[in-house]
Amino acid sequence: MNINTPIEEREFKIVGKSVRRDDVLEKVTGEAEYTGDVKLAGMLYGKTKRATVAHARIKSIDVSKALAYPGVKAVLTHENVPRVLHYGSPHPRSASCTKDQYILDDKVRFWGEGVAAVAAISEEIADEALDLIEVEYEPLPAVFEPEDAAQPGAPLIHEVGPGGNLVLDPVRVNRGNVEAGFAEADFVLEGTFSGGRPHPAYMEPNVCIADWDGSNKLTFWTSTQSSFMVRGILAEVLGLPLTKVRVLVDHMGGGFGAKQDCFQHEFLCALLAKETRRPVKMEFTRHETFIAGRARHPCKIWLKQGFKNDGTLVARDMKLVYDSGAYGSHGPGVTIVGTTAATSLYRCENVRLEGRCVYTNTPINGAFRGYGVVQSYYALDIQMDEAAERLGMDPAELKLKNVVREGDIAPSGHPILGHGLEICLQHGIDVLDWKTLRNRDRTPDPRQPHIRIGWGVGCEMHGSSAYPGIKEQGNATVKVNEDGTVTLLTGAAGLGTGAHTALAQIVAEELGVRFEDVGVIHGDTDVVPWDIGAFASHTTYLVGTAAKMAATKVRAAVLERAAIKLQVSSADLDLSEGTIFLKSDAGRFMTVAEAMGPSRGIPAANIVANGTYEPTKSYSFAAHFTEVHVDTETGIVEVKRVIPVHDIGRVIHPIAAQGQIEGGIQQGIGHTLTEDYVIDKKTGRSLNAGLVDYKMPLSMDMPDIETIILEAAPDPGGPWGAKGVGEDPIIAIGPAIANAIHDAIGVRFHHYPITPEDILKALREKGA
Amino acid sequence: MKRIVELTINGEARDMAVEACCSLLDALRDDVGLTGTKKGCDVGDCGACTVLVDGEPVNACLMLAVEAEGRSIETVEGLQPSVDTLHPLQDAFMQHGASQCGFCTPGILMMAKKLLADNPRPTDEDIRFGLSGNICRCTGYTKIFDAIKSAAREMEAARS
Repeated sequence: MNINTPIEEREFKIVGKSVRRDDVLEKVTGEAEYTGDVKLAGMLYGKTKRATVAHARIKSIDVSKALAYPGVKAVLTHENVPRVLHYGSPHPRSASCTKDQYILDDKVRFWGEGVAAVAAISEEIADEALDLIEVEYEPLPAVFEPEDAAQPGAPLIHEVGPGGNLVLDPVRVNRGNVEAGFAEADFVLEGTFSGGRPHPAYMEPNVCIADWDGSNKLTFWTSTQSSFMVRGILAEVLGLPLTKVRVLVDHMGGGFGAKQDCFQHEFLCALLAKETRRPVKMEFTRHETFIAGRARHPCKIWLKQGFKNDGTLVARDMKLVYDSGAYGSHGPGVTIVGTTAATSLYRCENVRLEGRCVYTNTPINGAFRGYGVVQSYYALDIQMDEAAERLGMDPAELKLKNVVREGDIAPSGHPILGHGLEICLQHGIDVLDWKTLRNRDRTPDPRQPHIRIGWGVGCEMHGSSAYPGIKEQGNATVKVNEDGTVTLLTGAAGLGTGAHTALAQIVAEELGVRFEDVGVIHGDTDVVPWDIGAFASHTTYLVGTAAKMAATKVRAAVLERAAIKLQVSSADLDLSEGTIFLKSDAGRFMTVAEAMGPSRGIPAANIVANGTYEPTKSYSFAAHFTEVHVDTETGIVEVKRVIPVHDIGRVIHPIAAQGQIEGGIQQGIGHTLTEDYVIDKKTGRSLNAGLVDYKMPLSMDMPDIETIILEAAPDPGGPWGAKGVGEDPIIAIGPAIANAIHDAIGVRFHHYPITPEDILKALREKGA
Repeated sequence: MKRIVELTINGEARDMAVEACCSLLDALRDDVGLTGTKKGCDVGDCGACTVLVDGEPVNACLMLAVEAEGRSIETVEGLQPSVDTLHPLQDAFMQHGASQCGFCTPGILMMAKKLLADNPRPTDEDIRFGLSGNICRCTGYTKIFDAIKSAAREMEAARS
């Protein structure tokens, strides 16, 4: 499959229809089994003892009282677990990742890090036993801000890595000649931008269950997006052959990227179960989901760009600093992806970028929808709005002039296919009658003179697949059963996006059977083909193509079998909705079940085929338009309307695709206005690790979302041109809101979240 | 020491032996084996464990199991009128894509049932207000609103 392959056009029977998702009946009846619902006979409950200092050496741990406590079956500390240096994000990544963590260490690097673990006959007893563990710390000076951590002489958080608290060597991208570009510029804009620490706050707290059998094989239930990666790293760290670890995951209560890591409690759970020879369950409290989960990397950005008076961008100079927290996790990936993304979005020939990722003594930041790009495009898009203001141009018009187009080099290094972004932006401008909107009468409504209305637009693009950072591979196995039904085996996780349904639609469409006749088997590393994990907006694009390839093969084999029975050539046969018929004479037909049935009384074997796909990358695009109401008395910003216009190539399941967009917007509104997981800068303690103090947009806060999906630029790398959609919607909404606030009250904000306090302070300073 | 609690769960008389400190949520999930009701926070913040107690919505994590003595509990497992039929809310949630990861779904379904029982023709504002104690992190709520409005229409039509 390459970019020159034409996309097949056909009249779709199943693709493009919002068929009933394969997972929702179980979800609305309560039958869906999530990891936390699994209960094994004799199961023990594990709990983690967490550090109450941000940076320290452990002088001593006394577990004698905990061990003696009735009901306690095992206690683990750094003194009795294997000491294996490993990397928290188990992706098959480049050498840029330094292994920087142990299961348990004699050093604490953030407040809340696990220092010991207990297994007991009940959760309550395990909890009580934690209080009996006595830890003596030798405090070390701690650093909570990347600027401080990057200073010469700052306390070193890790002994490994490039040094200077860097997680990886700086990521540098140079294209063209930036100095020459600035020399050519009519004016230059320069600003600093910063992003907070939003948390994915998935509804299902992290949970896992470990059980060892007599052959020393570990069966491991866990809520993960990357079951094969968990299998790999558990095997590596625990010193087991790969196939002595079986990872199971059925339904997942969300992840949004963060559940890609192999977490500390997962190793501890496996070891507690090994020690006690009983199954052990470890389930995070909501508090732990914050402190021991993964948040988005806070980021500081310096951005300087040169423009011509006609709006042409001639130079871009950008420095980004991502805060990794205490461990590397996805720091390298986020820094590489977020930095290189800034080569694109708005065309510029002369680009100089430098991305850094720095350790601090704060909770670990990891993968989260929008992976580094939320931060960098927030800066790029807002500064583009500022340029429009300076030029006296309409911001949408300036953006339209500069957005990437077909043939431009994407961050991946490939030429962009199609004019997706231009088409999305133009479409929004047209349907909203944007010019009239911008030139509207701005006199406040006399009934509520304190309300100011603003409209803003933000743009984004995002790749489906993590290429070139990760060379990906998608796999699928399709089996045609003896009754004519079809089974798809996939390792892709059921995160809640509807991905399995999309995969089944693709198989049914390609093979020519009814959607209802395709079943999906997933979530068992002993059974399904290897999978890289559900991330990078790639499941439909990557695994979907693999599934289509496998379906093509079984279709040919089914037709061969029918041809023998019908005594015709398979080339003369067609297959549609489970019926095989002669192209020249539809009256001669047989069902797939008949073709698969016994031949001369001898049972026929199932037909099985694999599809393996190694993609490069495609890009999806979006322009978000939004209306905000700013209350100048309270500082509260209400997002009233969002019109997201997306190009995701071929749409497989419209309702599921809309659902991704609407949910992404919800999270993006939160990041921009209310959500920030706050770490105390004096102690490193979490200040709002709970769902009341961490403020997410809920039912009362949601705007009307009028989703528009265009199939503007299908990509031949995906099934019938399908591209990703998961991450895109969270990226464009942020700058759209910030730009709309500026339109409403004339104040530019360069950070998120933009709180009511910020608004009131800015209005006061402005003298409004 | 455990205590015996007698109550009605989804229309059936049940008894369960629970510790005095056990929440209704843990009792339902661990003792009765009804795991459809979810634990998202265990401190009354998220609404994932919403059940109906004598028809009123309750965060099951905030109620002691012993307090349920003699009361009638409805959980998501009891929403189906019969084995072969779905409640209109269940049907609408499937059709409208109102459930993504599904972890909030049982709680939201129970809250929506109560909402429609009190107010068969809710406005958009009524629905938004009614769900203000239930966190959904996947859907942006849009499709949940659609589903509840659609179910309300179905139920209205079935009554007339």
